[in-house]
Amino acid sequence: MTVNLSKMKTNILQRIFRRKAWRSLGLFFALIGPGIITSNVDNDAGGITTYSLAGAEFGLSLLWILIPVTLALIIIQEMCARMGVVSGKGLSDLIRERFGAQVTFYLMIVLFLANLGNTVSEFAGVAASMEIFGVSKYISVPLGAIFVWWLVVKGSYKSVEKVFLVACLFYLSYIISGFMGKPDWGEIRSALLTPQLRFNPPFLTMAVGVIGTTIAPWMQFYLQSSVVDKGLKADDYQYTRMDVIFGSLTVNIVAFFIIMLCAITLFHSGIKIESAKDAALALAPLAGKYCSWLFAFGLLNASLFAASILPLSTAYTICEAFGWESSLNRKFAEAPQFYGLYALMIFLGAGIILLPDMPLIPIMFYSQVVNGVLLPFILIFMLLLINDKRIMGRYTNSLLMNIVAWLTVAALIFLSGAMVFVSLK
Amino acid sequence: MAINSEPQVFLFLSRILGKRIVDSEDRPLGKIMDLAASMVEPYPYVTDVLLCLRSSKEPFFLPWQRITDVNGKFVVPSLMSGDIREPILREGEVLLKDTLLDKQVVDTNGAKVLRVNDLHFLKAKNSLLLVHVDVGFSGLMRRVGLERPLRIFLRWFFDYTLSHQLISWMFIQALSSPDLLRLKVAQNRLSRLHPADLADIIEELDIYKRTAVFQSLDVETAAETLEETNPKIQVSLIEDMEPAEASDIIKEMPLSEAADLLGDLPKEKAEDILREMEEDFAEDVRELLVHPEEKAGGLMTTSFLSFLPSVTAGEAMDFVRREAEDVDLVYYLYVIDEEEHLLGVISLRDLLTAPSQVSLSELMHTRVVSVGLNEKKGQIADHFAKYGLLAIPVVDETNKIKGVIIFKNLLEVVAPQLGK
Repeated sequence: MTVNLSKMKTNILQRIFRRKAWRSLGLFFALIGPGIITSNVDNDAGGITTYSLAGAEFGLSLLWILIPVTLALIIIQEMCARMGVVSGKGLSDLIRERFGAQVTFYLMIVLFLANLGNTVSEFAGVAASMEIFGVSKYISVPLGAIFVWWLVVKGSYKSVEKVFLVACLFYLSYIISGFMGKPDWGEIRSALLTPQLRFNPPFLTMAVGVIGTTIAPWMQFYLQSSVVDKGLKADDYQYTRMDVIFGSLTVNIVAFFIIMLCAITLFHSGIKIESAKDAALALAPLAGKYCSWLFAFGLLNASLFAASILPLSTAYTICEAFGWESSLNRKFAEAPQFYGLYALMIFLGAGIILLPDMPLIPIMFYSQVVNGVLLPFILIFMLLLINDKRIMGRYTNSLLMNIVAWLTVAALIFLSGAMVFVSLK
Repeated sequence: MAINSEPQVFLFLSRILGKRIVDSEDRPLGKIMDLAASMVEPYPYVTDVLLCLRSSKEPFFLPWQRITDVNGKFVVPSLMSGDIREPILREGEVLLKDTLLDKQVVDTNGAKVLRVNDLHFLKAKNSLLLVHVDVGFSGLMRRVGLERPLRIFLRWFFDYTLSHQLISWMFIQALSSPDLLRLKVAQNRLSRLHPADLADIIEELDIYKRTAVFQSLDVETAAETLEETNPKIQVSLIEDMEPAEASDIIKEMPLSEAADLLGDLPKEKAEDILREMEEDFAEDVRELLVHPEEKAGGLMTTSFLSFLPSVTAGEAMDFVRREAEDVDLVYYLYVIDEEEHLLGVISLRDLLTAPSQVSLSELMHTRVVSVGLNEKKGQIADHFAKYGLLAIPVVDETNKIKGVIIFKNLLEVVAPQLGK
């Protein structure tokens, strides 16, 4: 019997060990999810358009701005992730509990409009990228909407996350296409390390645009909720921080390659473009057919990816703020507000693209303005929340972190204010 | 004292907060910041008003009894220095806005987690009772200040009257304050919920509330709830507990579930918990841990009834009566020989209707449906469907009984795939 017991014990140990090895790999992926996914969604259709335009119009002169943008993104996202881990609550939940129903209500309306605008531009991205492959938008956009709906409603959380992580890998297409442009690295390094500032409105507007498209209001809500959904605890925080930093770096590496590619091809040949689609088409004679296809494929991937996440994130955020049932595990009748908001976002987002004579460029433009108006409020709320001892306990910002964070936020507020001002003038 | 010309019987918290308190000459004294209430059964009553004076920054408490309501104005006829006190809560008191407004609560009647939009008070004599929690859209609109416009709009254009969505305080369990959860079991309204509903609620809460709610349950409810919770959350709940407390709860769970849970825990934690358990239980769990979770060996429990063929129905009946409470499966009695070879099966119904002196060997059915230790869940499910059984015994190559798979345990493994 004793022999038997000790054998049993080895068996248990083996089993636990086997599970553990498997699990730590799983844990690694589980922990790196939120930051990377959030950051990559950030390189959406609007982002790619902005980066293409920045490269095509101003060459390499805006490349340096990605360094401060990366730092700002890390600072802001780190705070969000920390709040999620420490409080175990989403951002809209915290805002509701701390600042009350009235503030939350108006904030959610503006967030809905801003995110709707973003969703429209994602479907515009789907339409534009598929047109490069010769597919009409009347086919690609409805198919895209059905794909998004099916993926999220029919798939389980795990399968959706796998699809998202694969989508992140597809961003490599921009890095490959960047190399296909045969860059001169010496010139690029000096452009990256020597900041240039030109005090003319188009240059400044573009600089603000690059920053604005990288740090968007919805990301803070999405990142914090996904950290909470993972059930991460304070002990896991170091991994989450690595995840956030890694994500912020990858997003800017992709941005770097897009700006660079457009600068060394389109800018050098003096080609004027107005959209990411123009950029992809113009790349064909300069860098080859495959480079153009890769660029278009990257745009399609980014647009679909963001179109899957934005409506979902919006519905979650709003339902969380108002205490409505919000879960894909519920049936429609159990969570009508959640599915209603989700369906409305997809329906309007895809529908607006299909209307003939829809002024798409102004719509995207004003959605950027709404984002710009919203961002300062959210950043200030975040700073107040993260310094609230009742919520954060001993995980509030340190003095140094507070100085850095407030300076970053002040700079971002100034820039988004400037962007709103310039846009509306 | 002025007589209320228009007695308002019900009051909303949102109509009280931020209101000014005036003296008898209509001079403003201060603003109402919050209400303190004594959390008694069935309805909490308001004891004090947290008042922010115009003259000083520090807020203080003023007894609610001192305030009269004249035409919707809050009046203190004469403020004496003895009326006010430091804002320190007494035993059993909470600040209502702080702990309830905009926070999550559980509606134990509808088994849902909801967010409080407003609180609804009943004015009875000179006291204010908390009777309802407003969780509806109209409450939200009231807070935003758009309730009236919305009502008028809906009535004019859609002929629709916006109704209040009020839930009686009797069904509300607050979550935000640990004190409210630590109330006596009788007062902890969560124990009224079915464990399956409780598990759904726990899954919906954030990790800290989840732990707080779970630890407020009594051992038996906690075990039943844990059984219904998804494995990932089970692990996180148990990881937050002391090994001794965790082992008390796990002991109450059916063996196979306990084994699955312990197998999912980190190694050291699982060992710590096993060490706290009685040796037989721990040994049974260890035995089950050896088998892969997806196969028959991992699905089975070792807690079932087995008898030698010579035992009589009466003796078996006495044994069942004594032990039934601690056994996972009581609906079938398995007949085995000295070496635990499976000989036959008797249903509880057969046993109940049999004369007490008959031996089990005469009662038993010898054509027993059983599965091997490595049978996959799909095939086991087919067996259940084909033979319409409540449980199937698991045997090794030599037909020795190793355990029993209960239909419910299999269902949990198979059910997620049914709808797809």
